Amino acid sequence: MRERDDELCEELLAGALTAVDPCSALRIAARDRRLSSAARERLSAIDEDGFRISALLVARLRFERLLHGHPDVPAWLDRDAAGFTETFRRYHAAVPPTGFFPPDEARTFSAWLASQQR
Amino acid sequence: MIPVGLSLQPDVVFLDLLHDVIRDEVDYYELAPETLWFRSSSGALEPNGFHRMFRELAASTQKPVVAHGVGFSVGGASSADAARRESWLERIRADHAVFRFGWYTDHLGVSALGGLATTLPLPVPMTDASVTRIRGALAALQRIVPDVGVENSVFYYHLGDPLDEPEFLGHIVAGPGHHLLLDLHNVYTTALNAGFDPRAYLAKLPLDAVIEIHLSGGSESPAAWLPSGRTKRLDSHDSAVPEPVWALFDEVWPRCPNLRGVTLERMEDTVTVPDVAVVRAELHRAREALRR
Repeated sequence: MRERDDELCEELLAGALTAVDPCSALRIAARDRRLSSAARERLSAIDEDGFRISALLVARLRFERLLHGHPDVPAWLDRDAAGFTETFRRYHAAVPPTGFFPPDEARTFSAWLASQQR
Repeated sequence: MIPVGLSLQPDVVFLDLLHDVIRDEVDYYELAPETLWFRSSSGALEPNGFHRMFRELAASTQKPVVAHGVGFSVGGASSADAARRESWLERIRADHAVFRFGWYTDHLGVSALGGLATTLPLPVPMTDASVTRIRGALAALQRIVPDVGVENSVFYYHLGDPLDEPEFLGHIVAGPGHHLLLDLHNVYTTALNAGFDPRAYLAKLPLDAVIEIHLSGGSESPAAWLPSGRTKRLDSHDSAVPEPVWALFDEVWPRCPNLRGVTLERMEDTVTVPDVAVVRAELHRAREALRR
């Protein structure tokens, strides 16, 4: 029972941390009736600034994996930093991070990019 | 004399600039095993080019190696992450056969939240269920490396009172061969961000479980990051060890009777020419402190 509660809590937090608006998603997660009251209380008590920083760091670490893994990204970033950053923002919002290594992230990004250009 | 080590980073500039320091001025190396892997087209985890470089370095210098990962996700509850963790254990076993790790530590928390590659250590509820889960993960690692442990992480949000964490850590490392890696910059950072005295945290920590201390620096988050304009100190390992961390080090290391090593950490992409003298001076300062 506790294991399922913890697992669900993880899923909800993972979704919130990678959401476009992490704090709104956190507030919704904290009201999820599938969670125990103890878990809902813990989520309700989270400092939103700290949560937002965590979400930014998760995105930044992903950005770095992509930068290290994709041969075209460093030049793209040099050429058009604002354009690439916006593309990355859309990618991060659309595709959950599943690549633990830079080449995995690069493959996922390339596939997403190709799907956008079709 | 307690040895002084340095974290090795898979970064050619880091390794080039610190070449002499790495070869001649440290007693052991610490590496993050997963930074030395990639996933091949068959899906297997394979060693990357830095793996070979570090293996040759350790062989030529005959210096011991300890492992400090961030990605095993010791506190993870997600069944979606089970297969990944199994594959990582297999790779860690292969790495241990090569490097003969003195010990293996990872960060407190969950870094693959819900099975996703969040890669940042994130907090777990400080409950008995979490203790059981983390001890289970340590036991799995311990079947490969006999001495294992967890590091107090920096969390930017909390699932409970951060001053309950020392007791939580104490329960986690109560088993044989389970140890604590005390990261003093993490204590300092969490204390600053959460608004408590780092000495109150250290006073509650089971210091006899500490086998390694980490020293590092960090920086403030940009004000533009938060709509509130607030900043937080980041565990970014990108600058010199701050004076308050040195003060904590001077106070706490003599109270750690089972201390086996003190490691200076620097992140990849953060070492430039002027930093070499800083790193050298910090290693010297740590050594001098341990002589007193």
